[in-house]
Amino acid sequence: MARPKLIKERVPTPERPVEERIKSFVEVNLGYDFASAVKEAERCIQCPPEYAPCIKGCPVHINIPGFLKALRENADNPDEAVKNALRVIWNDNTLPAVTGRVCPQEEQCEAPCVMGKVGDPINIGKLERFVADYAREKGIDEELLGEFIAETDGKGKVAVVGAGPAGLTCALELAKMGYKVTIFEALHEAGGVLMYGIPEFRLPKDILKTELDKLEKLGVEVKTNYIVGKTVTVEELLQEYDAAFISTGAGTPKLLNIPGILLDRIYSANEFLTRVNLMKAYKFPEYDTPIAVGKKVIVIGAGNTAMDAARSALRLGAEVTIAYRRGREDMTARIEEIAHAEEEGVKFEFFLTPVEFIGDENGKVKAVKFMKMRPLEERDSRGKRKIEPTGEYVTLEADTVIIAIGLEPNKILVEASGFETNPDGTLVVDENLMTSIPGVFAGGDAIRGEATVILAMGDGKKAAKAIDEYIRSRRANA
Amino acid sequence: MYRITAKEELDVRDFFMEVEAPHVARAWKPGQFVVLMIHEKGERIPMSIYYADRETGRIGMFIRRHGKTTFDLWDNFDVGDSLYAVAGPLGTPIEVKHYGNVVFVSDAVCGQAENYATLKAMKEAGNYTISIQTFEDKAHSYPEKFLAKPVADEHYLTTEDGSRGIKGHYLDVLKELIEKDKVDIVFGGGKLGSLKKLAELTKEYGIPTIVTVRQIMVDGTGMCGSCRILYDGEIKFACRDGPMFDAHKVDWDDVIRRDSRFVREQEIAKKHYLESKGVV
Repeated sequence: MARPKLIKERVPTPERPVEERIKSFVEVNLGYDFASAVKEAERCIQCPPEYAPCIKGCPVHINIPGFLKALRENADNPDEAVKNALRVIWNDNTLPAVTGRVCPQEEQCEAPCVMGKVGDPINIGKLERFVADYAREKGIDEELLGEFIAETDGKGKVAVVGAGPAGLTCALELAKMGYKVTIFEALHEAGGVLMYGIPEFRLPKDILKTELDKLEKLGVEVKTNYIVGKTVTVEELLQEYDAAFISTGAGTPKLLNIPGILLDRIYSANEFLTRVNLMKAYKFPEYDTPIAVGKKVIVIGAGNTAMDAARSALRLGAEVTIAYRRGREDMTARIEEIAHAEEEGVKFEFFLTPVEFIGDENGKVKAVKFMKMRPLEERDSRGKRKIEPTGEYVTLEADTVIIAIGLEPNKILVEASGFETNPDGTLVVDENLMTSIPGVFAGGDAIRGEATVILAMGDGKKAAKAIDEYIRSRRANA
Repeated sequence: MYRITAKEELDVRDFFMEVEAPHVARAWKPGQFVVLMIHEKGERIPMSIYYADRETGRIGMFIRRHGKTTFDLWDNFDVGDSLYAVAGPLGTPIEVKHYGNVVFVSDAVCGQAENYATLKAMKEAGNYTISIQTFEDKAHSYPEKFLAKPVADEHYLTTEDGSRGIKGHYLDVLKELIEKDKVDIVFGGGKLGSLKKLAELTKEYGIPTIVTVRQIMVDGTGMCGSCRILYDGEIKFACRDGPMFDAHKVDWDDVIRRDSRFVREQEIAKKHYLESKGVV
């Protein structure tokens, strides 16, 4: 038989035109249809699962060749193909509509893809997203869910603290195993950073909500408006539950300790994005929460959060500049997000470190003073080029500033519960993700400081396995 | 959902509301607050607690009709209706212990609620408690049963125009009390401008003073940083590190300025709401 020809180029996914998308919060990428998805899936050379580098590169180890195979095997029966593909994905990841949209695939599954050596790596992210979207639109996920509902009789009860990516994954995995799970969420809606942090144009809320509907269908109870550490203590949880998983994220924004930080219209990215995404301030006054944004916005930082804030501000009608203290090559945001921001008209200024916020007579910010930086040849431990101050300053006008320089763990829970912590405030865990309190596990940004959605999900999955083992061995020895 | 179990007018502007929130009532301690959302499109607003009853699982609050949300709440929510979200308790509880002679002062809605709640706890801890409640005038003053009078050892009611109780402000009464040498600590709430003056007064006499610092919040858990204040030269979050702070360490000018950050938007929302009700 003739060897199938390698198709080096990706089947592209259409995107909404720039001029249309900068006026609204609708999703930018339009995704594949079935025919183009199959065409893209057919480019996969089907590395065997025990070897496949894409599976190794995925923090939750989705059987990627397996789901691509399922997709193309039934090319004449789209519903069946998608159902089989979704079943393969759900074995490892129950939130593919989310991960297909927000994972940095270029650094994970797609980075080591063998096809990437000869051409474009397989567009795994968009294919995962396609499977999830098609299944949702056709009600296939609804049908398939039945296969994953487990008997919950007497296996055990687990409390999950925080309904973000780590907590959701842990809860869903434990529910699939038959545990009775309750999630405690401080905000009024589940989703964590997926809800308050990631804008609609990247992850539409109705799609996220459909993913979250699985919780209830798999028997997971969600208690919103519960602040563990305040409403209920970890100690109290352990009286009722066999184990607990802490996934409270990195909730506290780092602010710049420079003059003028208290001026009006200087937001942390968390505040800005929470107002816009969770509280829908972009629909004010139809929604009650306002956001005050002027005409010239400076976003400080260069991660995905900075891109999200910048693109959101743009959609609120502002001119937006991202200022970063390092160079372009060291920006931490996903390539796709940087590209989208640029296409949409966000300006970039590199090698600028803010030293002062300058206010007007009413206490509103009117400019940011920066120190110019100079790149050095040396690189730091993270592989980023070192920088040094030049002693020269530049002042850029701005009537709104958004600070997106990172987060640190929220102290509420830690302080109330007596966990052992690292100097940066993250929880100390052992190789099974167990904290210093027996039976209490932790994952996601609460132990990592700041990472990606998928790494948090990987922790959730790993913790679910460890919690299962912990509860079983305790019961066996009881 | 959180069912409304009582609602009553306090004066021409403020009202009392009781809501079922057992998760909050069981854990609440004096000094802590809640965050409410009245419906799915609502904003998250912090609210002081007047009382929290573990047995019934209900919390009482004093609320001012001030912006869109609180007008909406008064106009459209009655006993039997439910609020969309009640989160809490939030904030750091105050230290309830024996201080000696403890004075509680307030001249606005949130302070009045705390005058009852925290004073009651302080009295139970063996303190001699004095409450000074100031209102603008008779029409803006509360019925007897909602004052701290029944729980305080000494109670003063003042109105700024003298139409009810003593004529003057709590600052005037407090100054007299201080000069009679009977004040070990002061707890205050209410208008930020008055709290600034309170801080100046008690600093002069070297009397410890703990006050509620009202700031605009979103989540209430330390996640957004909206409520940041300058405190003893450092940035603190009113929601997480407060809301009660040592009044002598607060940068009041910054706090007062930051409190008016969204005035323009508040007016837009209120106008939009009143127009939709056909009022304007």
